Amino acid sequence: MHLISDVATGLAYLSIPAALVVFAMRRRDLAYPWVFVLFAAFIIACGATHLMHAYTMFTPAYEAEGLVKAITAAVSVTTAIVLWPLLPRLLALPSPEAMAREVEDRRAAEARALASEARSAAFIAHLAEALFVIRVRPDGGFQAETVNPAFERLFGITEQAIRRQPLEQAVPEAMLAAALPHWHQAVAQRQPVDYVMEAETPAGWRVWQTVLVPMVSAEGPVERLLGSARDITMTRRLQADLLQSARLATVGTMCAGLAHEASQPLNAAMLWLRSARAAAEGLQPEARLTRLHTAFGVVEGQLRRAGDLVARIRALPDDEAGATQVFDVGRTAADAVATASGQYAPEGIEVILHNLPGPLPVRGAPARLEQALLQLLANARDAVQDRQAGEPGSEGRITVTLLEEAGEAVVEVQDTGAGVPDALRDSIFDPFFTTRDPGRGSGLGLPLAAAVARGMGGRIDQHNAPEGGAVFTMRLALAPLACLQPAEEARI
Amino acid sequence: MAWRILVAEDEGLAAMAIEDELVREGYEVVLAPDGQAALEAAAREPPDLLLTDLRMPRLDGAGLIRALRAAMPALPVVVMTGYAPSGGVGAFASPGEGPVALFAKPLDMDAVLLELRKLLPGP
Repeated sequence: MHLISDVATGLAYLSIPAALVVFAMRRRDLAYPWVFVLFAAFIIACGATHLMHAYTMFTPAYEAEGLVKAITAAVSVTTAIVLWPLLPRLLALPSPEAMAREVEDRRAAEARALASEARSAAFIAHLAEALFVIRVRPDGGFQAETVNPAFERLFGITEQAIRRQPLEQAVPEAMLAAALPHWHQAVAQRQPVDYVMEAETPAGWRVWQTVLVPMVSAEGPVERLLGSARDITMTRRLQADLLQSARLATVGTMCAGLAHEASQPLNAAMLWLRSARAAAEGLQPEARLTRLHTAFGVVEGQLRRAGDLVARIRALPDDEAGATQVFDVGRTAADAVATASGQYAPEGIEVILHNLPGPLPVRGAPARLEQALLQLLANARDAVQDRQAGEPGSEGRITVTLLEEAGEAVVEVQDTGAGVPDALRDSIFDPFFTTRDPGRGSGLGLPLAAAVARGMGGRIDQHNAPEGGAVFTMRLALAPLACLQPAEEARI
Repeated sequence: MAWRILVAEDEGLAAMAIEDELVREGYEVVLAPDGQAALEAAAREPPDLLLTDLRMPRLDGAGLIRALRAAMPALPVVVMTGYAPSGGVGAFASPGEGPVALFAKPLDMDAVLLELRKLLPGP
């Protein structure tokens, strides 16, 4: 019975380490593989003592058995000693259930991160503010990495264009030149930069406020600039309109008072001049009478000149109700351009009209609008001639462009003059403001045009084109096409 | 009998010259330095036509026109003013009222005389 038990136990003890070794070899991610080796050695040693015991039943090899027992003792003691300090660490190993839970947690976290990323992407795509990311190249240059749809809408530059092309090609020169100093500043100072810019963009004239945040890499240099731009074009325009309206209201009151006060003495003087003329009839000698008539002529001429000025000032206020109708701006613009080009062609100035295929209906008095457009054209002609006086041979061209934009009829008058200096921009619509010599231009043309635009629920803005020259933009509220006068329609 | 024109004008010098012209043209002229005086004068001697300024002391031209037309709806009125009223001539033309002609100062007297001849045809 001793023999059978010892042989069976010994064989079993040899089989168990084999299973352990197979397990250790298959599972290469085991935390402490050497513990398995130790266990294997310990069990083999135990098995060996049992087999040795069976062997000594037949052969008294007690020395060999003692040696095997000594080895087994050494391995067992070593295992026992090593196992206790290892126990806390083995206990710290996660159980399969804990592992499964953790895997589940991590999967959920990953899903949350993905959902959050999708939300962020949707948020950025639908954000009203224009976002852009610019990579700072090692050579100090810039390349756009990505922009959001609001950026595309604000500036009229597509993400594809700005990502695939160098910035110099995708972004208008003047716009980039104005932005670059701020970008360099953000890179150099490694601090967020806040600035307001205005420029002609592919989507039109825009004013925007940008916050630029430098994103710094682990090593130190600024790798990217994260920009957000808010469109403040309309806010600026409203602010400017309010200021302009307040100023014009003051000036308008002053002008109306001045016109009235000046008209009284002028009126009396004109009436008494007639009286003097009547009294002088039949006076002798003839030479004296001739001289008197010459004097009357001069006085009358000067009084009429002053009277004309009073009449022009009186025409300024925009609350003239008058008869209004719905008419086509394109038709009126074509009339004004035809008149102007007839006058300016002999002076070497070309007037070009880019009309729209369909009508642009607005409400107002067509004659007043034509007068306003003629004032804008005359102003453009003066600007071209002023430049030509300084630079003989410079181009003489006035371009009138009609557009329909966001419920407004837009008439742009662009000239090839020198443009309006920034410092003067706020003053050009003030009555009597003029840069021309005395006798040339009364300073009432642009205020009249602006008054007409305001009277039609619109306004006139001015900016300089990137290629030089001034652009005057008249915006008028669109009227329903159905209200277009049948007579007007027939003429179109 | 000559047509009687009531002239309401607060600028004395202008009023004198206008009176001169109208008398020379054969009209009878009554001068009033403001709207209230014109109203009183009209009560004494009803005019055939009112030639009036708009901005005057005591009673302004618009008030004078309304007051006179209450009694004489068909009274022709010629307005001479340094201010262009908003709405132009339409500001004084209510249904049932006589015509209003509007002249800006300084007056083109020839045009005014032409208008008077039209409104008051030769007797």
